[in-house]
Amino acid sequence: MSEYFTYIDQLIAEKGSTKKSLIPILQSIQKKYNYLPEDALRYLADRSEITSAEIIGVASFYSQFRLHPVGEHMIKVCIGTACHVKGAVQVYDAFRRELKLKEGINTDEAGKYTIEKVACLGCCTLAPVVQIDGTTYGHVASDQVEQIIEDFESIKGKKDTGKARKADGTQLQGEIRIGLGSCCVASGSKEIQEEVEAVVNESGLRVSLKHVGCVGMCHQVPLVEVVPNEGEPTLYAKVKPEDVKNIVESHFQAPGLFAKLKNKLMHTVETIQTDRNWEGVERYEISMREKPVASFLGNQLPIATEYRGMINPLDINEYKKRGGFSALQKVFESYSPQEVVDQIKQSGIRGRGGGGFPTGIKWEAVRKQNSEVKYLICNGDEGDPGAFMDRMLLESYPYRIIEGMTIAAYATGIHHGYFYIRAEYPLAVKRIREALKICHENNLLGKNILGTGFDLDFQIYEGAGAFVCGEETALIASIEGNRGFPRIRPPFPAESGLFGKPTLVNNTETFAQIAYILREGWEKFAEIGTARSTGTKVFALAGKVARGGLIEVPMGITIREVIEEIGGGIANGKKFKAVQIGGPSGGCIPAEFADTPINFESLQEMGAMMGSGGLVVLDETDCMVDIARYFLSFTQEESCGKCTFCRVGTRRMLDILENITSGKGKQGDIQELEKLAEWTAKGSLCGLGRTAPNPVLSTLKYFRDEYEAHINGVCPTGKCSHLIKYSVNDNCIGCTKCVQKCPVDAIPFTPHEKHSIDTELCIKCDACRAACPVDAIDVK
Amino acid sequence: MKLVTCNMKLATIRKMIKLKINNTEIEVEDGTSVMKAAQSMGIDIPNMCWNDELEHFTSCMLCMVKNSGTGRLLPSCSVKAVEGMQILTEDEEVVESRKTALELLLSEHVGDCEAPCQVACPAHMDIPKMNRLIAAGKLDEALEVVKHDIALPAILGRICPAPCEGACHRKTVDEPVSICLLKRIVGDDGVEPNLSGIEKTGKKVAVIGAGPAGLAAAYYLQLKGIQVTLFDKNEKAGGLLRTAINDEILPKEVLDREIAAILKTGVLFEGGKAISAEKYAEIKSGYDAVVLATGALAENAEVFGLKANPKGIEADKSTYQTSDEKVFAIGNVLRSSRLAVRSVGQGKEVAHSVLQFLNKQKVLGEPRLFNSRFGRLVANEYAEYLKESIDTKRTLPKSGVQSGFTRDEAVAEAKRCLHCDCRAIDDCKLREYSTYYQADQKRFNTGARRSITKQVSHGSVVYEPQKCIKCGICVRLTEKYTERFGFTYIGRGFDVVVGVPFEEALEKGLTGTAVKVAKSCPTGAISLKE
Repeated sequence: MSEYFTYIDQLIAEKGSTKKSLIPILQSIQKKYNYLPEDALRYLADRSEITSAEIIGVASFYSQFRLHPVGEHMIKVCIGTACHVKGAVQVYDAFRRELKLKEGINTDEAGKYTIEKVACLGCCTLAPVVQIDGTTYGHVASDQVEQIIEDFESIKGKKDTGKARKADGTQLQGEIRIGLGSCCVASGSKEIQEEVEAVVNESGLRVSLKHVGCVGMCHQVPLVEVVPNEGEPTLYAKVKPEDVKNIVESHFQAPGLFAKLKNKLMHTVETIQTDRNWEGVERYEISMREKPVASFLGNQLPIATEYRGMINPLDINEYKKRGGFSALQKVFESYSPQEVVDQIKQSGIRGRGGGGFPTGIKWEAVRKQNSEVKYLICNGDEGDPGAFMDRMLLESYPYRIIEGMTIAAYATGIHHGYFYIRAEYPLAVKRIREALKICHENNLLGKNILGTGFDLDFQIYEGAGAFVCGEETALIASIEGNRGFPRIRPPFPAESGLFGKPTLVNNTETFAQIAYILREGWEKFAEIGTARSTGTKVFALAGKVARGGLIEVPMGITIREVIEEIGGGIANGKKFKAVQIGGPSGGCIPAEFADTPINFESLQEMGAMMGSGGLVVLDETDCMVDIARYFLSFTQEESCGKCTFCRVGTRRMLDILENITSGKGKQGDIQELEKLAEWTAKGSLCGLGRTAPNPVLSTLKYFRDEYEAHINGVCPTGKCSHLIKYSVNDNCIGCTKCVQKCPVDAIPFTPHEKHSIDTELCIKCDACRAACPVDAIDVK
Repeated sequence: MKLVTCNMKLATIRKMIKLKINNTEIEVEDGTSVMKAAQSMGIDIPNMCWNDELEHFTSCMLCMVKNSGTGRLLPSCSVKAVEGMQILTEDEEVVESRKTALELLLSEHVGDCEAPCQVACPAHMDIPKMNRLIAAGKLDEALEVVKHDIALPAILGRICPAPCEGACHRKTVDEPVSICLLKRIVGDDGVEPNLSGIEKTGKKVAVIGAGPAGLAAAYYLQLKGIQVTLFDKNEKAGGLLRTAINDEILPKEVLDREIAAILKTGVLFEGGKAISAEKYAEIKSGYDAVVLATGALAENAEVFGLKANPKGIEADKSTYQTSDEKVFAIGNVLRSSRLAVRSVGQGKEVAHSVLQFLNKQKVLGEPRLFNSRFGRLVANEYAEYLKESIDTKRTLPKSGVQSGFTRDEAVAEAKRCLHCDCRAIDDCKLREYSTYYQADQKRFNTGARRSITKQVSHGSVVYEPQKCIKCGICVRLTEKYTERFGFTYIGRGFDVVVGVPFEEALEKGLTGTAVKVAKSCPTGAISLKE
């Protein structure tokens, strides 16, 4: 008897023994054993209706699943777009060197650490980001790898010390708001929260402690806002735990006891990661009235993100107090389902997931289907490696999404819905689960909602990691327990979707805007934006911009306004080169077209697309061929492998790009690449393959000279490591800092003399250049 | 009531729609796919992932057609015909799309169609097949295979420099199979195939010159039911074979015996008279076609009045047709070469051209099929190939190379063949379409190729995963017929492979469905052993 048997039997009993339970069962097995043991899978095949072929097919398709055991701790190096442009590859290589990993092996000899690349951790503003188990390290440099591992070793096992504190609620002196979006948590807001709780507990202050969702100002995390009953609220950015006491003290008068505890409180929490460890003491006190913050938030127009930073994601009463569920109430009381559909149609809202299909028409199609059973799916499978809007919306505004979905269900005659959320977003899953429970308790879900006779239930389906599952037919296949293979449309899901039933699939952000439309009226929504792209769009602004974060702007705003006014221009005084919009399906728009308005049509005309809303800003140091190669390597890996043009076409395009960026490019490669890109776009079965060539085609269109330079052996920005050489110039003062940083001893120890680099040994990790105090390292 | 419902159902099923395919209107049942609609008109739509037993899958994307209304390409296997649709199945863009799809598939299809030895052989002989028959002790059948392409095996077995052995995959890790000596024993010991029952066409062709090229041409034309008269200036046929080769290397009795076998097919021989311009004119008017195989002689060009260059007479490279459509030229008369096997091969090829000419067909020469090739075999792949061969050293004839192999030696040596030819060589859609669309396998030769593996443990089928084009037919068939393990997709993207779950042996994956799956594989990835 294998140790797994009882557990598998229990899982089958709990989750079911048919294919549609397969992914949840596999997720449970992996959660327990950290991988999928073969014996467990074989036993599952024996004991359920699921075949071995189905199990292996699915287990090997989704990137979440591991078929081999891993080390004690997982090191996840984020290689999302923002991390990529900030040197994620060097960080990954540095970890491999540190752990002495041979090629093809990802676990160190002691079996302690396993390293893997992950598509996006959704902390783009902290790039480059590395996660070891539950601890996230931001702004990682390749020479800090050793420190990080040491730090992790030192805090291991000390986690989860935080105690919850319930605010008294009476006689409050004010409120302390702490951002608890994933970005904030990753940057240490959990520790800040613990510290604030500790300070407040020990001082006996009567303040309410409030958890708010993502504020969007991810470039300033962790954020703490202090709102006294009297006086102006103050927003503190990049707060460190040791700052907490001072902040609290400066706003609230503590009872006598406080002073006595003062010394004790000086102990700082030791388990803080990220910025604090590397950036020295850097603390800002910013107020909304200060210019940068005002412009970051000022140009924005929150609809999906309404009341950002003000409401506790899970406080249903507060949501209601701010107009929440009034749209639903209004719909139930005064609109027929058809009238709801009409309102949505008239609002002009188009799908926010990328394609831009008119939402109202989709609803109408589903509404018209004569079927007892229909399904609703909220598509939260945000796979774009440079975007995290869905995650933020699910984490911060769960009720708004539920309200939008409920309205959709009412309008289209649906009684069963799914949240399809990436398993990489545990916090989003947790919040939605909690929110659904609370909605049930409040009769906002379940049988006879609010006494209207309308029944609706939701369940959560955790996606197991596949970019292609953002495509609706693949997403449906995935919920059915299959590999995420898309299929041809028609039939559209509206006619034949999940389990062959009419199905409405909308993006998370689309649902987040529905309540606004019905509450405020379609006219108000339609007034925002442009004629054919109405309303607002949420973007994840990241890359080389001074102030990155989550933004919601009216459609039609120009790229320049976003980058300069909201983003504060390019960081570190560099020159703006291009912006990558739409992630792997999108394209690069060069600086000279910065006045392009952001809407569905104009982006497409420029060779980009709205995509899911990733907006990664690139500066003069970014190599456009490398960017194209980066996206192709992503889509190539994420291709489901079904149709020829995508499976092989993306691989061959990547081959050519790899040849070009490694100095093996030859005349004719550019033309062949262009031709293949066109065919991959024309011949692929689904949206993934059809749009995968966009990053290549758009860079070919605007930056062809860079491609040609690579063919001639030159990378103009010095990014492509095969085409560059490191050398020391006459600025060198012989300080040996570079020598100490070099991981491969390519720089001889020659104190007080000009250093030199052995290019044979050099691995181009860039550590020397980063370490040099006098700019004496040349990269050519 | 029941009856009414039933009628209604029938009525919906029978709803007909009209569409235009290649500008011809057609009416089909609603729900019919564009591919089936086109096929019902006799239009061929290439497809590889389609299988009549299964639902459409849309993976190979070869069945692309164009909707001329929207200008978009669509996979016809899974798109349903719609009233008023206008479809083009062979427009330029469609053809380019299919060719590109094939070239992409070929770039990941690691395998040889024909064995490299056969490709290298100027006479294009099916060497692996000969080797298998020799290994089974069937020399007579082996001779039939050899004579399909080489009219003079015993002779060539003594004088051929064997370019085939230079291409043998075994050569890259071991020594090549001794193909030439194997062919020699087949020529020496095999009984000539029975050629009775060939239907006469009533046509007459003159072959001028009885050297290796002329002899071969005469032989293959005669086998096609054409009455051949073979002219030569010498009394005896043989040309340079008789005059330029040492008797020790090529004994006269071997030469005479093989020439006799050719003449025995009914070829008329007229020797001892040089062909003058008058005689040539007479021959030309008396025969339906003429094949010139007179060897490298400078005056030829003038006598025959054909277009020529300093090297020899000019003729089409693949049909051998000269500036006079009735006259074909082969062998050294085109260009001096010491390679008898090339002349012999041309003799075979020209027979195809002449027959096409006589039948008033387009003269295309011997049909040439697409050949997938992967290049050099590397050391770790050798072990995979050895699964179907034996790991022994090259056999040397005990009594010296001069006297050739004994039968036992031949059998031992033939067993060393790695059988590089594909089992699906005559039944491969990938090859068939690649030939039709003239696909170029090297177009997307942009990255490293996959390493070849072979799974041979199954009793009746062999699986070569690197030939797989991921059409998924085997996955879907084993699912349909509820194999316990069956086949599944493993991984995703370009790296996806099709295999038996849990790395179970092939025989566990394919039980009852093995033969069906092998027969349904559109290429040679899964094939029947015999």
